[in-house]
Amino acid sequence: MSTVAIIALASAFVTHATAHTPTASMEPALLTTLALALGDGAIAAADGHAVDAAHAVHSTSGYADVGPLHFVKAVANTDFAWLKWMLLAPLVSVILCGAMAMFKVKGRLPALFTVATFGLSTAMAIALYFQFGPTLFATHAPLTVPFMDWLSLTWGPGPFQSFTANLGFYIDGISMLWMLFVTVLATLIALYASEYMESDLKAGYARFFFAVSLFVTSMLILVMSDNLVGLYLGWEGVGLCSYMLIGYYATQPGATAAAKKAFIMNRIGDLGLALAIFLIWTNYGTVQYDSLFQAIAGSTSEAVQGGWSKAAIPFLLLLAVCGKSAQGPLFTWLPDAMWGPTPVSALIHAATMVTAGIYLLARMAPFYTVQAIGPEWAETALLTVGWIGCFTAFIGATIACGQFDYKRVFAYSTISSLGYMVMGLGVGTAFGGVYYVFTHAWFKALLFLTAGAVMHGMAGQVDFRKLGGLLRVPGFRLTMICMLLGCLWLATAPFSAAAESKDIILLTALTSHVQQVQWMGWIGVLTAGITAYYAFRVWFRLALGPVKIEPGADQHADHGHDDHAGHADHAHGGADAHAGHGAAHGGGAFHPHAPGFRISLVLTLLAIGSVLAGLPSYLAHSQGFNWIQRFVQNSSAWMRAGNSEEHGQILGRDAHSTLFIIATTVVVAGFLLAWILHAKNRALGDRLRASMLNTTGLKWIPLGSEHGWYVDQFYNAIIGVPAWLGAQLLAFTDRFVIDGVIVAAIGRFPGFVARVFQPLYTGTVQSYALTMAGGIGLIVAWVVWVWLSGGAS
Amino acid sequence: MNTMTPAILAASTNLGPKFMLIAPEAVLFVGAVLCAVMGLSHARAFRAMVPWIAVVALIATFVTMLKVWTPEAATAAQLPMPMLGKYIIALLCVVGVGHVLASIGSVDRAVERQVASGTGAFDPVRVIQGEFYAFLLLSLCGGMLLCHATDLVWLFLAFELCSLPTYVLVAIGRGADRSMEAAIKYFFLGAMSTATLLLGFAFLYGATGTLELSAMRESFQMQAQTGGIGSVAIVGMLLAVIGICFKLAAVPMHFYAPDVYEGASSPVAAFISFVPKVQGFVTLIVLLGTVGWSANGDSSIPPVIAAVLWMIAVLTMTLGNIGALLQRSAKRMLAYSSIANSGYMLVGILAGPTVGIDATLLYLLTYGVANLATFGSLAAIERNGHEVDSIDDLAGLRVRAPMVAAALAIGALSLTGIPPLLGFWGKLDLFVASAESHQRTLLVIMALNSGVAAFYYLRLVAMPFVQEPTPRTQGVSPVPSVWPRLSALIFAAGCIALPFFANQLKGEAAAAARTDLDKQATVAQSVEK
Repeated sequence: MSTVAIIALASAFVTHATAHTPTASMEPALLTTLALALGDGAIAAADGHAVDAAHAVHSTSGYADVGPLHFVKAVANTDFAWLKWMLLAPLVSVILCGAMAMFKVKGRLPALFTVATFGLSTAMAIALYFQFGPTLFATHAPLTVPFMDWLSLTWGPGPFQSFTANLGFYIDGISMLWMLFVTVLATLIALYASEYMESDLKAGYARFFFAVSLFVTSMLILVMSDNLVGLYLGWEGVGLCSYMLIGYYATQPGATAAAKKAFIMNRIGDLGLALAIFLIWTNYGTVQYDSLFQAIAGSTSEAVQGGWSKAAIPFLLLLAVCGKSAQGPLFTWLPDAMWGPTPVSALIHAATMVTAGIYLLARMAPFYTVQAIGPEWAETALLTVGWIGCFTAFIGATIACGQFDYKRVFAYSTISSLGYMVMGLGVGTAFGGVYYVFTHAWFKALLFLTAGAVMHGMAGQVDFRKLGGLLRVPGFRLTMICMLLGCLWLATAPFSAAAESKDIILLTALTSHVQQVQWMGWIGVLTAGITAYYAFRVWFRLALGPVKIEPGADQHADHGHDDHAGHADHAHGGADAHAGHGAAHGGGAFHPHAPGFRISLVLTLLAIGSVLAGLPSYLAHSQGFNWIQRFVQNSSAWMRAGNSEEHGQILGRDAHSTLFIIATTVVVAGFLLAWILHAKNRALGDRLRASMLNTTGLKWIPLGSEHGWYVDQFYNAIIGVPAWLGAQLLAFTDRFVIDGVIVAAIGRFPGFVARVFQPLYTGTVQSYALTMAGGIGLIVAWVVWVWLSGGAS
Repeated sequence: MNTMTPAILAASTNLGPKFMLIAPEAVLFVGAVLCAVMGLSHARAFRAMVPWIAVVALIATFVTMLKVWTPEAATAAQLPMPMLGKYIIALLCVVGVGHVLASIGSVDRAVERQVASGTGAFDPVRVIQGEFYAFLLLSLCGGMLLCHATDLVWLFLAFELCSLPTYVLVAIGRGADRSMEAAIKYFFLGAMSTATLLLGFAFLYGATGTLELSAMRESFQMQAQTGGIGSVAIVGMLLAVIGICFKLAAVPMHFYAPDVYEGASSPVAAFISFVPKVQGFVTLIVLLGTVGWSANGDSSIPPVIAAVLWMIAVLTMTLGNIGALLQRSAKRMLAYSSIANSGYMLVGILAGPTVGIDATLLYLLTYGVANLATFGSLAAIERNGHEVDSIDDLAGLRVRAPMVAAALAIGALSLTGIPPLLGFWGKLDLFVASAESHQRTLLVIMALNSGVAAFYYLRLVAMPFVQEPTPRTQGVSPVPSVWPRLSALIFAAGCIALPFFANQLKGEAAAAARTDLDKQATVAQSVEK
């Protein structure tokens, strides 16, 4: 199995190298040549200069001002009505798994249904690509498919007196791309989970797959919907599933706390989305994408009306992105989300759900244009997006350097990578951002699943200081090689798919006319170096060195033993039917439990996928276009095609080659540092850390990094503590002022009224009859006196 | 002012199309007879089949209705509101099945247990299961027949067919003295209200000289053009409206509701909090929709009637909600809640035929579903073998019966009108209708009332889920039969699932609210010429 990955990896490099230079020697001179040949070719083609002349329009006045928007009206086509089955298939799985969870079915059936229906959705996503893709690329017209009439209210004939949000599909480049990778990855990860979750067969197996199916359904609603209300429905749905799955091991206080934290952080973002939708409706009178984009494309920057209520929209959307994609101030929920089972971390908290924020930014790109909000606000909005992303990328990377839990390192790396993507959209390359989403989805899923395989086999050991030399442990070689690939990709090793995509972001930033954007680019470059360091810090510690295995305290993968006490007894009983699930067997000797067939298969496929994710960029050289870019170009993200395409210079030299050299140098430096401190001479690394901890002036670096720069503690101090005090105060007020004074005075009023009328409800028929007759008499008398005496109508 | 046109005469004599349309009711009637007979069987298995015969009869009725109730057939039958019947029959069938399921196991429980354990012999005099389901179906049958009314006699007979069985249901549903007392109260006061209704009909006949609804309408139109509708007609309509108020449990005819609901068994209380409401509102719509409205030529009710209805609506929702606040008995609380809900639905009636009737019809559906989820949950639990009534018995229900607690909470939240649930869509439509008809004050009062209502509905959520179980709730457990539980769960699921089809439901309600009268009038005029 492992050979496949190696061959795939090697072949990618070989094809690559042979296509351009005969040998990929590491000589500096050759390196430069290679850089020129490759960097220039791949990236220039990738930027798609000549693909569509209409997009090349740009202005030098400010980077938000990109000339007229490129809007193509969507075409409704009911031939694609079968698309609804793409949603309904996982929904069937939701219902079946839900029923099985309810009736406590103990079997592998839920996994079977889930994988099968996900596979069906994948097939449909691919079929859609082949049936509709060519049309889209030729005509640029998105597809709308009516699905179900859902909401349609009218309270007058005017333009703002109706509200329509039907469930319909809006298929353009980015929705198609998201549909493709969400379904493919979900299928693979569900397959992986079918083995990984087996220790829970008697407990939450069905519940787990219920939530995963519901997640995929919601995610598909999110990306397929043709209006913002549908997007919101999916947005909330994925949030709910994320909550359910983080808190999957509900008997552990940490898991439930993490679930609540994620939910609350996401609520803050969701509030932003809800407010944005309200404002969009008040300003445009519709929430349908097609009409919205048309309205924006039709207006000019001089005619922007609406003041703050329009200008607030992009910022509120950004708040939503910060919640869902763990950006800026709201990122702290994502590391804690690792309490969930590892397949969930891979699927939801790395590959798909967290990229919903990027999808939202790309989808709503027209709201960041001068046509929508005027020149000043457009530039401010974009810069804010860029800075939030840049800041998050940097902070995430610095925290990742101080973590000892490899799963948490990958969690912080996800935050950092998402920061890059957001930054990409902020600096004006939707293509770079989306391409990085695509490549990242593969290698990050791979990284998490390898981490999961290690945890699965090491009884939940997540501290990499307690493991080592796994490359030499039988059965773990494939896992460690896949993790190496993932780390290389995470570190944006030159020529990797990740580097191809990330470099587009950095290139755009560094060649920008705007000084601030260039700074973002430089911080991004620095972050790349840090990333290389922390990625290999994990891998060197885990894979190399002497074999060291200190099993975790957990009976199973990554959860406590309290909910599986019975199972523990079973394992100790000797007759181990569970193929050596990482348990301490009778004598206490620990046998690592190597991953089985399904896990290995998925790891291999993901490794291949990670490598192939670079293909669009490699092939761009010969094809003249980048596959991913075609998706982006035919989507709302391209309406503001603000890419400064002229490829200026970096430090007075050619942009591509310079970036390549700088990025490679930085990455290699990070790699070497990790090698020295964590592979060659670990004692040196440990000493360095110890001496830093002992030096007053430097203490803050390792401590701060390990504790996430104390952001959680800071939030607790500024929000948690005041909120607790406020709650105490309110409780006091409630008890003594409201209950004591106000309720006594006003709150008793309804009770008083009720008591006044109580005598009427005596319970005897006669009195009821009398009261009713009295009522009739009163009404008739009133009518006769007041109305009929005047002879009205 | 009696102007019977030949076309209308022809309509009243040509009964063929009308008979075609009552095929669903005929099916249901057969089901009722079967239930009554099977209930007396010596074999326990046969007796146990009775509820399922009722279910099958309701399904068959539904299917028959789908077959026969086409727009053409309805137009041929000269119905004032051609598609109303389709909506109402479907509603009564679907919710009716839920009511039947909710009552399985509670009727004749003691007797059947004795027979099963051999301590008692089967006694045809003591068993009432057959009667129970037969009367239940007959009442539904009456409610359906209301939609076929083209004249006051039919309307009245159907009205009574719907009412009378409910009195019996209250009496026999529980087999306790309190239910007898409740039944007597219900019956006497019901008789009084029927008398009021009938008196109103008599006045209407006196004022127009006809019993035909369409002829009556023409007469009113004529009167309106020549100096206004006479006092006799106004008083007649007023009395009819007040008579109907009894069925709606609306002020001033609402006093009986808490006592009767409390006395009746939970499944029966569920039934009489829903079916008589459908009955009342259909009668009100047929009566006002065909006679009252458009009398002024602009689709408005005569101002007097509108003013009275406005007052009734405001008082009903306010008194209902205030009354519910103090209750410790869940059933009494829900009785007051049903009073308040009638007040909301009257808002739709006031908004008028083009915008409001469909909102009322939709609300009937949302109320019926949520109400059954709530009452059904009460019917699905017991405390030491007795019906649960006090709200205190619900404390910590999530531990004793998690599914029932969930259904109860969902039903209560839906009745409150919490957004994703069905109740929200019903309320939203009513709000939109009152906004559209410029009834600002009414809208504000209704919104305030909804807020007050949340206070007591949320108790039904908080008690099972927030409160810890108390020693008092030690004996609380689900009833032996699984069906009441399932009924509550299905309808709670409906509260979640149906909103996805809100637009279709709205479309159906709007179709049902459409009236063909003006079209028929033009046809009649052309025939006259």
